[in-house]
Amino acid sequence: MKILTTSIFLLGAAISGAFLPATRTQQAPKLADDEIASVAVVANQNDIDFANIALKKSTDPSIVEFATTMQRDHKAVIDEAVALVTKLKVTPKDNALSKSLKADAVKTQQSLNAKSGAAFNKAYIDNEVAYHKSVIGAVETILIPQAKNAELKSLLQQVLPTLKTHLEHAEMVQKNFGK
Amino acid sequence: MKSPIMTRGDRLILVFPLFLVLACNYDEPKYQPKTYTVRIEQMKFQPDNLTVHAGDTVVWINNDLVAHNVTQVPDASWQSPTLSKGQSWKRAVDKSDDYFCSIHRVMKGKLMVP
Repeated sequence: MKILTTSIFLLGAAISGAFLPATRTQQAPKLADDEIASVAVVANQNDIDFANIALKKSTDPSIVEFATTMQRDHKAVIDEAVALVTKLKVTPKDNALSKSLKADAVKTQQSLNAKSGAAFNKAYIDNEVAYHKSVIGAVETILIPQAKNAELKSLLQQVLPTLKTHLEHAEMVQKNFGK
Repeated sequence: MKSPIMTRGDRLILVFPLFLVLACNYDEPKYQPKTYTVRIEQMKFQPDNLTVHAGDTVVWINNDLVAHNVTQVPDASWQSPTLSKGQSWKRAVDKSDDYFCSIHRVMKGKLMVP
């Protein structure tokens, strides 16, 4: 079963300009740099949490390999983000998008934890494909355009090819589990 | 009485050792091995297709945020250690090979030795 979380919907809707909790206008949410930093950290941490579940529940080599890569890469991105905000003396600030991402990750984790075997593998990799598509969209259309600090913008631009490679890798694995 | 002018045989006797000396001292110009760099940037090997001579050295340097490796395809007959950001690894090339990053299976490269 495809797991499409509320966060993914939120990101997708925000990208399309349809979701605007604060203003209800036809524009993407406006984020300050400290809020962008928070969204970036939460989005990466969520995928580490999904990977941790996969590493506990799956023995499929392609799932284990992919989850290990997600754990390693997203930790590296968080480490870079933390180093940057420390240097810039910025404290990541919770906002509607980051809160929704966190809340929805909990639901996704509950859904993944309720599955096992082949059903788990398919649910995990389907979620990875959907999640990366949404995060890529958000980074391209919200986070990069709205980032004001040049170093923060540059970090987000460097992360984008990593996310796209993850998506390509996830789609390759997904083929083994019947899309 | 012998003529003071050297005969053809005399000249050969004199020239042959000189030829031998020259022949022994003549070296083929040796190929000077070169070093090439493949940058790992934006989740790609750049260049992803590199032509080198046998004996040349290739250095892979990871400029990405995330770790990579360089693994021969299809049987991992050679493989770099995991390269964190800023780390590099080099290898003397002896034959054509395909390679990839086994951490990110979609990242591929090729070494061509004509």
